[in-house]
Amino acid sequence: MRTFAHFNARTVDEVVSILRRYGERAHVIAGGTDLLGKMKDELLPKYPEALVNIKSIPGLEYIREDHGTLQIGALTRLEDIAADPLVRGKYNALAEATRRAASPHLREMGTLGGNICQDIRCWYYRHPDNRFPCLRKGGGRCYAMNGENRYHSIFGANVEQGCYAVHPSDTAPALIALNAKVKTSRRTLAVEDLFEVRVGKTTVLDSDEIVTAFEVPTPAKATKSSFVKFALRKTIDFPIVNCAAMIASEGGRVTAARVCLNAVYVKPYRATKAEEFMAGQPINEANAEAAGDAVVSDAKPLQHNGYMVQIAKVMVKRAILACRSEAPPAQT
Amino acid sequence: MKEGSKATPLNLCPYCTAAFDTFEELKTHVVSVHKTEPLPKPAGWIALTVNGQVHELKVEPEWTLYQVIHDRLGLMGVKMFCDRGACGSCTVIMDGRPILACMSLAIECDGKHIQTAEGIAEAKHPLVESYIKHHTMQCGYCTPGFITTAKALLDRNPDPTVEEVMEALGGNLCRCGTYPQHPKAVLEAAQTLREEGSK
Amino acid sequence: MTAKKLGPYQTLKAEGTYKIGADKPTIAFNRIGKRGVRRYDGYAKASGKALYTRDVLLPGMLYSKVLASPFAHAKILRLDTRQAEAYPGVRTVLRFDDPAIHGRELTGSIAGPTRMAPQSAGWAMLPVKTILGDEAIFEGQMVGVAVCADSEQIAAEALKRVKIEWEQRPILLDQEEALQPEAPILIPGADSNQIIDERELTTKGDVEQGFQEAEQIVEFTARRHAHLWAGAELPCVIANWSGDKLEMWVHEQQPYLSKLILSEQLNIPMNKIQTHSLYQGCSFGERCNPSNWHQNGINVLAVLLARKAGRPVKLVLNRAETFYGESGDVMASHFKVGAKQDGTITAVQMKSVFANYMCTTGVEHLIDNTRISHLRCEGITAHVNKPPAWWCRCEQLPNVFCQTLIFDHVADALGLDPTQVALRNDGCEGHDPSYLSEFKRRHGFPDRDSLRECIEAGRKAIGWEEKWHAPGTRRLPNGRMHGMAFTWSHDWDDTRGTGSAAVMIQNDGSVSIIAQHSDVGVNPWTAYMQIVADELGVPYEDIEINPFDLNVGFALMSPDGSCNLGSNGFVVKKAAQKAKQMLLDLASEKFDRPADALDVKESVVFEKARPENRMPLKEVVKMATPMLNAVGIWTEPPVLAWAWHTHGLWGQALETGRPRMCRQANFIEIEVDTETGEVFVTKVVNVNDVGQAISPETVEGQMYGGTYMGLGRALTEEMVWDPSTGVLLNRNLLDYKYATLLDYPEAECIYLETGLGHGPYGSTGIGENTATMIPGLLGPAVYNAIGQRVDDFPITPHKVLKALGKIKE
Repeated sequence: MRTFAHFNARTVDEVVSILRRYGERAHVIAGGTDLLGKMKDELLPKYPEALVNIKSIPGLEYIREDHGTLQIGALTRLEDIAADPLVRGKYNALAEATRRAASPHLREMGTLGGNICQDIRCWYYRHPDNRFPCLRKGGGRCYAMNGENRYHSIFGANVEQGCYAVHPSDTAPALIALNAKVKTSRRTLAVEDLFEVRVGKTTVLDSDEIVTAFEVPTPAKATKSSFVKFALRKTIDFPIVNCAAMIASEGGRVTAARVCLNAVYVKPYRATKAEEFMAGQPINEANAEAAGDAVVSDAKPLQHNGYMVQIAKVMVKRAILACRSEAPPAQT
Repeated sequence: MKEGSKATPLNLCPYCTAAFDTFEELKTHVVSVHKTEPLPKPAGWIALTVNGQVHELKVEPEWTLYQVIHDRLGLMGVKMFCDRGACGSCTVIMDGRPILACMSLAIECDGKHIQTAEGIAEAKHPLVESYIKHHTMQCGYCTPGFITTAKALLDRNPDPTVEEVMEALGGNLCRCGTYPQHPKAVLEAAQTLREEGSK
Repeated sequence: MTAKKLGPYQTLKAEGTYKIGADKPTIAFNRIGKRGVRRYDGYAKASGKALYTRDVLLPGMLYSKVLASPFAHAKILRLDTRQAEAYPGVRTVLRFDDPAIHGRELTGSIAGPTRMAPQSAGWAMLPVKTILGDEAIFEGQMVGVAVCADSEQIAAEALKRVKIEWEQRPILLDQEEALQPEAPILIPGADSNQIIDERELTTKGDVEQGFQEAEQIVEFTARRHAHLWAGAELPCVIANWSGDKLEMWVHEQQPYLSKLILSEQLNIPMNKIQTHSLYQGCSFGERCNPSNWHQNGINVLAVLLARKAGRPVKLVLNRAETFYGESGDVMASHFKVGAKQDGTITAVQMKSVFANYMCTTGVEHLIDNTRISHLRCEGITAHVNKPPAWWCRCEQLPNVFCQTLIFDHVADALGLDPTQVALRNDGCEGHDPSYLSEFKRRHGFPDRDSLRECIEAGRKAIGWEEKWHAPGTRRLPNGRMHGMAFTWSHDWDDTRGTGSAAVMIQNDGSVSIIAQHSDVGVNPWTAYMQIVADELGVPYEDIEINPFDLNVGFALMSPDGSCNLGSNGFVVKKAAQKAKQMLLDLASEKFDRPADALDVKESVVFEKARPENRMPLKEVVKMATPMLNAVGIWTEPPVLAWAWHTHGLWGQALETGRPRMCRQANFIEIEVDTETGEVFVTKVVNVNDVGQAISPETVEGQMYGGTYMGLGRALTEEMVWDPSTGVLLNRNLLDYKYATLLDYPEAECIYLETGLGHGPYGSTGIGENTATMIPGLLGPAVYNAIGQRVDDFPITPHKVLKALGKIKE
C-alpha cells in the first residue's frame, strides 16, 4: 500500500474535525476489510491522503435494549451481533444477515456501520489500478452495461448516471426490513434513506459525517422477520441476491409487511410490490409466489443477468414464507 | 518500506486534535492543558504482545499487521495467500478474535495481544498433534491459518459441535482440499483439552 | 555361454530402467500400507515453522516487479523509464531492449522440442517467445520492463511511472470465432489462427463402419470454460550472486530442469548454481513448466537483476498477477457416438476446438481403457488473446471430460444402467479384457477385474441399486430434484519420471535419504521413509530426509503426472536394498558369516539361522564413516548407496509401454433446486484401485482433497473476461470462487489394492485422479436430476435455470 497520514481518533468530534480538515481526501476506517482492499488495488482515481481510525473511539461497540428499541453501536462487530441472544431472539433478520455475511474472520473484524457503508460491487469498478474509469469514478461510461454483467442490477441503472453496480450489503436489507434508524454524528434517519448513488459515494453522509449507532424498533409479538441469501458459495461470498422481510400478522392475515432485496440494484431495493400484495393476505406458498412475481414484474435485466430475476423472485417468496409463525428455517 | 515523498507526520493531540511540529511540544501541551498521564507514544510507535512477548516498534501507517509479524518479527506462520481478506491464511488471534493480518493496519494494533501458530505450537496446544495425526495438511501453506482460527474457537467454546467447528473454519481456504480433516482434528483436540483440564 | 559383462554405467542403466512386470514385495510390510505413521512434514506445517520460498528474507534483499500489460493485445512503441529509474529506492531497471535480455527466448534445448515448449502452450502468435518482449498477447502479460527496488511498494510505484506508448491491436477471445474466415489473423504471417499440433487427428479403425454397426446414434455438444490452478503460495524466485556462483530459491516442481534451462540461457555452469527448493505452497502443474514465462522467465529476470544490482533479488508476483495462465481444457466439442442396444459402443467421432493449447485430445482414455474399435478424434487449437494454457491437475482433463459425457449420453439413449455400459466397453486399445488378462498372466500380475471391483464397491457405498432412477423423475420431500451419476476411467499411471537418491547409514545407526525433492503437499517423504524403513529393517522413526537442497546431487522426480511414488518409490527402494547389501556385507566381517546368512530387523543385525547371534545396527556401523579424525583407530568406509530409476512412457502399446490395468469409479448424488438453479452435492463416492497403498491416509487425502477442486471446477470456478477489452475481470480469490469447507460434504473414499499398478509393490499414482474425474460428472448428475442437459461447464445457476426454461435468453 502507498502511504497516507493516519489518525487514531479518540472521540467522534475529533473524527469530524479531522474530516473537515481533509474533506474528501480522508477516509474513515473501521473494520477496514473493504477499504484496505480498495487501497491495495488502487482502484480509485484518487488515493486517500489520510485515514481516520474510529475503532479507537471508546463506547461505540454495544448491543442493548432500551425503551422498546434495540440499540447497536456502529462499531459492533458483525460476529457479536450474530451471536447475541437478544438479537437472535427478536430480530431474526438481523441475526441471520450478520451470520451469513462475508466469512467468520471478516465478521470478527467488520462492523455494522462499515457493512452498510461499504462500497459497491462491480468487477469493472473494482479492477485494480483504475483500469476502467467508470461513471462511479467520475469517468465516461458504464462498462458493465454491455459487458460481463452477470452480477449487476436487474432493476436498471440509477437515473443520473447509468451505473449498474449493485450494493452488496447483507445487513442493509435486514435493517431496512426491520425499519431501523441510523444515527450519525449529525442526525438520525431511516436506514432506508441512507443510501444514495453518487460519484464516489453510496450514502447521503456528508464528507465529515460518520455513522455512530443503529436503533431497531422491537417488533410486536405477532411479528416475524427473516433473511435469505443466494450466493455461489456458502461462505466468503457476496450475495447474488439477498432478501429480508418483516411481517406482522393477525388472525392469520398480514397486517404489515416490509420486504427488502439487495444486490439487485444500485442500492437496497425495497420490494414494495410484495408488501402491497401481502397486505391482508395469509402467508402461504401461492401468495408468497405471487408477491415475488409482483416484485420482479418491472425488472429490466441485462444480457447476462436474467437468472437473477428468477432468483430475486424466489428470495422474496422464501423470505416471506420464513415469516410464517410455524415456519421452519429457510433453506437458502 | 518508507517511501520517497511523504507527508510530515503530524503530532496531533488525542484530546483536542491540536497539531504540533514536534512530539516534545505535544507532550508539553498534553501535560499542561489536559493534565493527564500516561502520555501517548510518539506517532507511529506501537507495542504488540506477540505470543507473550512485548515488542515495541515504529511502524509506517501503511504497514499491515502481516508485514510487521512476518517481515519484522520473523513469524513466518502468518502466510500471504490472497492478500485481500478472502482466505484466512494470515489469521492471528488478536484479543481473542481470529482476525486477518493482511487486512489490519499495524498502527491500529497498539497494545494488542496477539497469538500466532508458532506461539500455539510452542505452548504445546493439542491442536498441533491432532492436526499431524489426522493429516490435516497437504501443501501446508494454509495450515497455520486454520490452526489459529481453531484455537480462537476452542478458547471461546471448549466443547464445540461439528457444525460449530465447520462454521468457524468457513473463512479458511485450502486449495488442496484438506477440509474434512479439520473438524476431526479440532474435535479431538477439544476433547484432549477437556481431559487435561479435568485432571 | 557367458553374458556380456556390463560396465558401471550400463549396469546403473539396466538396474534403473523399468521392466514390465509385477513388482512383488520381497519383505514383510511393517510400515508400508499401515495407518498411523506419523506424517513427516506435519509438525513443521502445523506449527507455522515450515518455510516457503515466499517467506525467505535475505539481508540486503531487493524486490523486483515486472510490468503487466493493461491490454490484451498490444505492442510497445515507445518506452520511457527515466522517471522510474529516478524514483527514490529504485536500484535497477531492466528494459526489454537491454542487451542482457533482448531477444532471449523462453525455451531451452531439452525442454524445447517437447510439448513443454512455449509454442505449444499458447504463445504461438509471438514469432519470438521472448522472456521480456515488447508485445503482449494477453492482458496481464509481463512485458517491457522489470524494476528492482528496496521494497515491493517502491517497485510497484516505479512501474506506475514508466511511460509507454502502446499500439493496440485487434483481439479475439473465443476459440471458435478465431477460426471463422472473417476473424483477424493474430499469428504474424499465418493464414489462420490455428496452432499447428501434430495431434490434430487421431483415428483408429473406421468410424463409418462403426456407425453402420450401430443400432443407435447419439449426437451432442459440450463446452468447458477456463479455470486455473490458483495455488496458495504466490509465485516468487530469489537470486543471489557471489562472484561467479549463483544461489537460487525457487517455488517450482522441477528445479533440476529449471537449473538446466537457466544454465543454457545465461551460460552459467550448472555446478555453479546452488538451488534451494523449500516447502511448496501448492502447484497442481502451475509450477511445473520450466520453459514457461512465469517460471523460467522470472528466474532469468531475477538472475539478471541480481547481477546488475549486486544484491539478492526477490521477484514477487501478487495475487492478481498469478492469473497468468489457464487450464488446457478450454474446449468446445461435438460428439457423434454409435452404440448397440446392449451398450456396446461401436464408434466415437469427436471434434473439439481448444483455446491456446490442447492438453490432451479427448480420445486417449478411450484408446487406453476401452474396446471401442472405431475412433476418430479431431482436435483443433486456435489462438485467442488469453493467457497460455497449461496442465492444470491435470493434462487428462479433456480425456476424462469426453469419456464421462460419451458414456453417460450413450447409457441414457439406450436406457441402460451406466455402470453396465462401462463394464460392457471396458478393455484396452480396442481389445476386450481377455486381452489384458493375458498380459497380466504373462507379466506376473494378478488377473483381477479392476473395473468390476471398483463399480461393485461404489454401487454399494452410494446405494446405487435403490436410488438410481430415470432422468428428471425423483422429486424429494424438500422440493428439490434428486440426481445421480457415475463415471469411470483408468488409473493415473502417468509415471514417466526419472529420479535418483542415496541412502546412507550414519554412524549412530540413523538413516538419511539424500536427495533434493520438491513436494507440493502429497506427503511423499513419509512414504519414502516407510519404504526405506521396511526395506532396510530400520524403524521409521530412525529415518530422516532433507530434501531442500539441489546441491546434494541427487534429485527425485517431481510430483507432476502423479509420478511421485511410481518413480521415486523405486528409487528409494533400490537405494535401500543396495544399502542393506552393503550393510550385510560389512556385518559379515563382524559376524564372520556370509552376508546372505544375515538379516536386519528393527535395527538389529542377526544371523538368520541363529537369531540370538545378533548385534545392534549402530555397533555394526560404528566405524563405517565418511570422515573421522582417526588417530590410533581404524575406520571403515561408509554404508552409502544410491540408485536411479526411470519409468518410461505409459499406455498405448502393450509391449513397449505399460497398459493401464487399474481402474476407478466415481459416483455422485446431488439435489437441484429448480427454483434457483442451485446444485447441492449431497454425496460423493470415489473408488480408486491404487494397486497398493503405501500411506493410506495420503491416498485418501488425494481422493477427498481432489473432490473439492473437482466440484469447484464443475460449479463455480471460471475465469471471466470482459468481451470488448479482453481484461480478466476476476483476478482475486473473492471473484474466482473455489470451494470452501462449507460447500460440499466429505467424500467417501474407498481404495482397492489389486497389485495391478506398474509402480513399486504394484502401486499406481493417485494425485490427479479425483480433481480431474469429478468436474465432468456433474453434467450427467444434473441431467439425471432435471431431465435436461447442461453440458456447459461450469454449471452455474444461470445455465440450470435456462435448461429448466425458467428464464428466457
